[in-house]
Amino acid sequence: MATVEIADVRKSYGSVDVIHGISMAIEDGEFVILVGPSGCGKSTLLRMIAGLEEISGGRISIGDRVVNNLPPKDRDIAMVFQNYALYPQMTVAQNLGFSLEMAGLKKPQIRTKVEETAEILGLTPLLSRKPAQLSGGQRQRVAMGRAIVRDPAVFLFDEPLSNLDANLRVQMRAEIKALHRRLGSTIVYVTHDQIEAMTMADRIVVLRAGIIEQMGTPLELYDRPENMFVARFLGSPSMNFLKGTLAEGEEPALVLPGGDRIVLASRPEARGEIVLGVRPQEVTIDPVRGTPARIVVTEPTGADTHIVARVGDTDVTCVVQGRVEEGPDDIIPLSFAVPSAHYFDPETEQRIDAAGSVLELAARSQRAVQ
Amino acid sequence: MTAVTTTRPADEIVPAKRRDPLLIALWITLVVIALIWIAPFVFIFFTSLKSNAEVMSSSAFAPPASVHWPNFEGAWRNGDFGRTLINSTIISFVKVPLGLLISAMAAYALARIRLRWNKALVLFVLFGTMIPFQVMLAPLFTLVNGLGLIDTYVGIILPYLAFGVPYQVFILQGFFRAVPKELSEAALIDGASHITVFRRIFLPISLPVLAALLILDFVNTWNEFAMALVILQDSAMWTLPLGLMSFQGQFSSDYGQLNAAIVMTVLPAMIVYLIFQRYFVSGLTSGALKG
Ligand SMILES: Nc1ncnc2c1ncn2[C@@H]1O[C@H](COP(=O)(O)OP(=O)(O)OP(=O)(O)O)[C@@H](O)[C@H]1O
Ligand SMILES: [Mg+2]
Repeated sequence: MATVEIADVRKSYGSVDVIHGISMAIEDGEFVILVGPSGCGKSTLLRMIAGLEEISGGRISIGDRVVNNLPPKDRDIAMVFQNYALYPQMTVAQNLGFSLEMAGLKKPQIRTKVEETAEILGLTPLLSRKPAQLSGGQRQRVAMGRAIVRDPAVFLFDEPLSNLDANLRVQMRAEIKALHRRLGSTIVYVTHDQIEAMTMADRIVVLRAGIIEQMGTPLELYDRPENMFVARFLGSPSMNFLKGTLAEGEEPALVLPGGDRIVLASRPEARGEIVLGVRPQEVTIDPVRGTPARIVVTEPTGADTHIVARVGDTDVTCVVQGRVEEGPDDIIPLSFAVPSAHYFDPETEQRIDAAGSVLELAARSQRAVQ
Repeated sequence: MTAVTTTRPADEIVPAKRRDPLLIALWITLVVIALIWIAPFVFIFFTSLKSNAEVMSSSAFAPPASVHWPNFEGAWRNGDFGRTLINSTIISFVKVPLGLLISAMAAYALARIRLRWNKALVLFVLFGTMIPFQVMLAPLFTLVNGLGLIDTYVGIILPYLAFGVPYQVFILQGFFRAVPKELSEAALIDGASHITVFRRIFLPISLPVLAALLILDFVNTWNEFAMALVILQDSAMWTLPLGLMSFQGQFSSDYGQLNAAIVMTVLPAMIVYLIFQRYFVSGLTSGALKG
């Protein structure tokens, strides 16, 4: 168990800069998930923590030791690789015991620890098998066992579930979380699956092109994305963005380039052009305040229906409960007037705060009158 | 891609009734080529068991009417095969494992340890495989002679190593490079040193390649003639091929003994082949990674 501190860490391969100065402090026992699009440097960062890549600049500390120049084996970490990397010629028991053997433990001690670990992960009946004789999920478990058995200060996971099928992934997600609760160890976990990130993390770090876009608890990031990138990245289906000009007038509204008018529930602290962001689950069909939209396609998913419709020249997605009768080319009124709507600057893509909801505004103006 | 695929072994697939004509053609070709290759061996083996009179009177490929063992005794005695066999054995049994070990370690370093000069070193090794040794015979003799190693085991083993190692390094480093790097990284994190990774991970998973290289190298070394001829001048130091050559000069008309000598020369190489060919099984790395 240990803290991990990353201070202004940089990485370049030759003249190519991959990580441009990342700083974060991971608390003892925290489950931190690094997310971001492919190639943004998640694995590179993780591998630098592990000591598998040299650190081009900055400082990484684990516990109270600076580990920049420590070899991987001295960092008290364990890593689970995306492709598991089990030793093919060794049995499951030997795979699990390898690190203990390297640490110079006696045979009986190794056996006890291996058996304990196998018990936790349900690998006991498989101990004498070779990796080739295991299913994908079992291999994944062995890979995790190999990490657990050493009782490291920090666990590093690099997309450990991406090779599993959907059901198994859900199951393993729960198991990893339970394991974290049980062991209480610090975990740094890389994924590009935002559902994994939302469900497992204590804290999510969103990376893009080698810099941190935002970090915080899953709900913080979901409720208050700092920019359009984070807003787009978390949540499924992805957030809708509508670009328009703020209408001058009593009622806050957005005027789209085609002239359509969108009623807002709050007034952003800005003038002129802005981007409105509303999650598909918050878009409603509302004959009173809605803006007419032409349906492009409807996708029933069972419980919900996803409607993709065109407002002005933008396609927006709307998730409604149950089934819908309307089909392509029908016109429906879509309302985006929710207090939780987000506003962004179209130039910088950064978040713009809302001055408050319409109700608050009304209350405030009433107070002013009195 | 899902990891839990239920793979069905190939042999469970219901065989088609009609054979692929291409396969049949391939089979026939294979059999014909095998016959062409085996014919001389049959000839040599049969002849080695015939008396001289029978060799003259019977067809070359006819099996011996009665087995004539004295050929082997005679050849063994006349050709001093006891001595040459010992020489060959010492030289091959030292050179082949030693060379393979050096090659494997060099290949591991080239493939897995980040060195500034890696690319240049690989090119250098590749260059070593391109020099035909015939070109080098004269300078080699001068060099070995200068070191005072003519007619010694070391004097022949060193040049053998020098000419054997480069191509083994080249083949092995290609193979090691193809081993997923996560495998050695996992071991490094687990606390293994490079030596341990090499010994515990790389050697076991490259057994098929090592076995193949070992057999090739053993047969090459066992049968090597030109370099041995130049460096081993004292007949007490001769290897089997040199002994056979000299024997052939003296007993070229005694076909029975000559062929018995040839059989004795090739037999050890065949035994080594038979011992190690079972390691040729491929697929030892399967299961290391995702399914
Ligand atoms: N050895 C290398 N030499 C040069 N560039 C590299 C090297 N390894 C990685 N990169 C580059 O570094 C960047 C980050 O790679 P990294 O593997 O960390 O991405 P990632 O976020 O893990 O992506 P993914 O989700 O696809 O795994 C990529 O643009 C990649 O091309
Ligand atoms: Mg990656």
